[in-house]
Amino acid sequence: MSKPKLAYYLAGGCGGCDIAVVDLAEALVDVALQLDIVFWAPTVLDAKYKDLEAMPDGSIDVGLVSGNVRNSEHEHIVKVMRQKCKVLIAFGICAACGGIKGLVNLHTTEQLLDKAYINTFSTDNPEKVPPQTTVVVDGKYELTLPTLMDARPLDQVVKVDYYIGGCPPYHEHIGKAFMALLSGQLPPSGSWITMGKAVCEVCDRNPVLQGKSKKFATTVKRTIEGTPTEGACILEEGYLCLGPVTQGDCGAKCPSANVPCRGCGGPIPGVKDFGLRAISAIASMLDNEELVEQIPDPVHLFYRYALPSSFLGKRIKR
Amino acid sequence: MAWEPKIIVIACQWCTYAGADLAGSLRYSYPPTVHIVRVPCSGRVEPEFIAEALIRGADGVFIGGCHFGDCHYKEGNYKSIRRFNLFKRVATELGVEPDRIQLEWISGSEGKKFAESMTAFDAKIRELGPNPLKGGAQ
Amino acid sequence: MKKIEINPMTRLEGHGKITIFLDEQGNVENAFMQVVEFMGYEKFLIGMPIEEVPRTVTTICGV
Repeated sequence: MSKPKLAYYLAGGCGGCDIAVVDLAEALVDVALQLDIVFWAPTVLDAKYKDLEAMPDGSIDVGLVSGNVRNSEHEHIVKVMRQKCKVLIAFGICAACGGIKGLVNLHTTEQLLDKAYINTFSTDNPEKVPPQTTVVVDGKYELTLPTLMDARPLDQVVKVDYYIGGCPPYHEHIGKAFMALLSGQLPPSGSWITMGKAVCEVCDRNPVLQGKSKKFATTVKRTIEGTPTEGACILEEGYLCLGPVTQGDCGAKCPSANVPCRGCGGPIPGVKDFGLRAISAIASMLDNEELVEQIPDPVHLFYRYALPSSFLGKRIKR
Repeated sequence: MAWEPKIIVIACQWCTYAGADLAGSLRYSYPPTVHIVRVPCSGRVEPEFIAEALIRGADGVFIGGCHFGDCHYKEGNYKSIRRFNLFKRVATELGVEPDRIQLEWISGSEGKKFAESMTAFDAKIRELGPNPLKGGAQ
Repeated sequence: MKKIEINPMTRLEGHGKITIFLDEQGNVENAFMQVVEFMGYEKFLIGMPIEEVPRTVTTICGV
């Protein structure tokens, strides 16, 4: 019996999810021996886009896409991936919800290019030339670049079968997901592959798990304004941990390192717009109305990973 | 046909909804553009409700609850205003017109105030015009 | 003039392509390397509290 075929495409992401798969280390040997990896571009294999386009439709059993869809090249290749793969997984929070790179939706493409290529003190661009989609060098060499567009999560471009959150997904969780894939024990198509628990439920600092009850935060603090008390809930002390609304497949790694959760695991089951639910949860955990005004920069906090999948998808007046 | 605003009012059953009923019995009229949704407490209102209403084309969203100290469930209205203020801050930064969403405390005996608040909100929404967000920001 | 495109450049993080132009004899007349992606961190980080930036910019390259 032939081994199931796997393809992996990195779209508008950082490659961290690719490396998270490699981080399976010894477990990867078990997984890789059972799979036929036919395409992994651009990070791991020397496969070209035309190789993927040449494969028959539906010939690849599992396709993983990490990174959001940001330009016309990403859009084209993810549509090819959807054609060639029987099961398509949005791998990592960028593909599932838009990711940190989705924060570009707060600005127009012109504003972003202007800041990067023209208006910075360290940029040497005296003729103020931004990148063009077509340019002809020396009058005869025609070069093209893909068109930039607003960042979108994968499911706004093609139909997605499963979602895995995390920035990147914790390697043990990836191992479990691969095992579930190989043994066919998956939830219904369209759902997240997760154990369905919030970060708080798996966090050692949760007072409820120690038999006490949670108290409201009486202050709002930036992480530079102090250190969380050992063993105490970080949200109670005012550091705005997003644990209550984030999926805890990571095992609450950040709170165990004294750092508040920032929501990379994706929303808990049943929540479509992560930022709105986070607003609801954090506001409810504050002791009075003045504290709400003291939260610095709520948009970069609540929508850090999920702006493209939010109810607006972007800032509408830019 | 000229544009008529569509205003969603989410009213807590113990205070604002009772106030609306009282406005009816005392014959204080308010605009028919107002559509009232009853909830057990203003603390039930999630920012997702307001966002969903705006995306689906509501031109204005008004939350009504009990005055501080009167909440039937003790603290629901405190939660409500904290969530509402934070949501309004974020939504405004993302480009939603802040005057389209409003929260007010109206008790069960304030029938006249309910009618006046509805009339004022309807006038404000007419001034702002139709909601550009209908169908999402696409 | 014949044009050969090698897309994508592989075994690295990032998207790049190489375009090679051949003359009539089939020799390489010119070759170009383009970086085919753009992020925008310079702009969208503005306004973020400084202590959150290190955790955010590690996503420029996850390798």
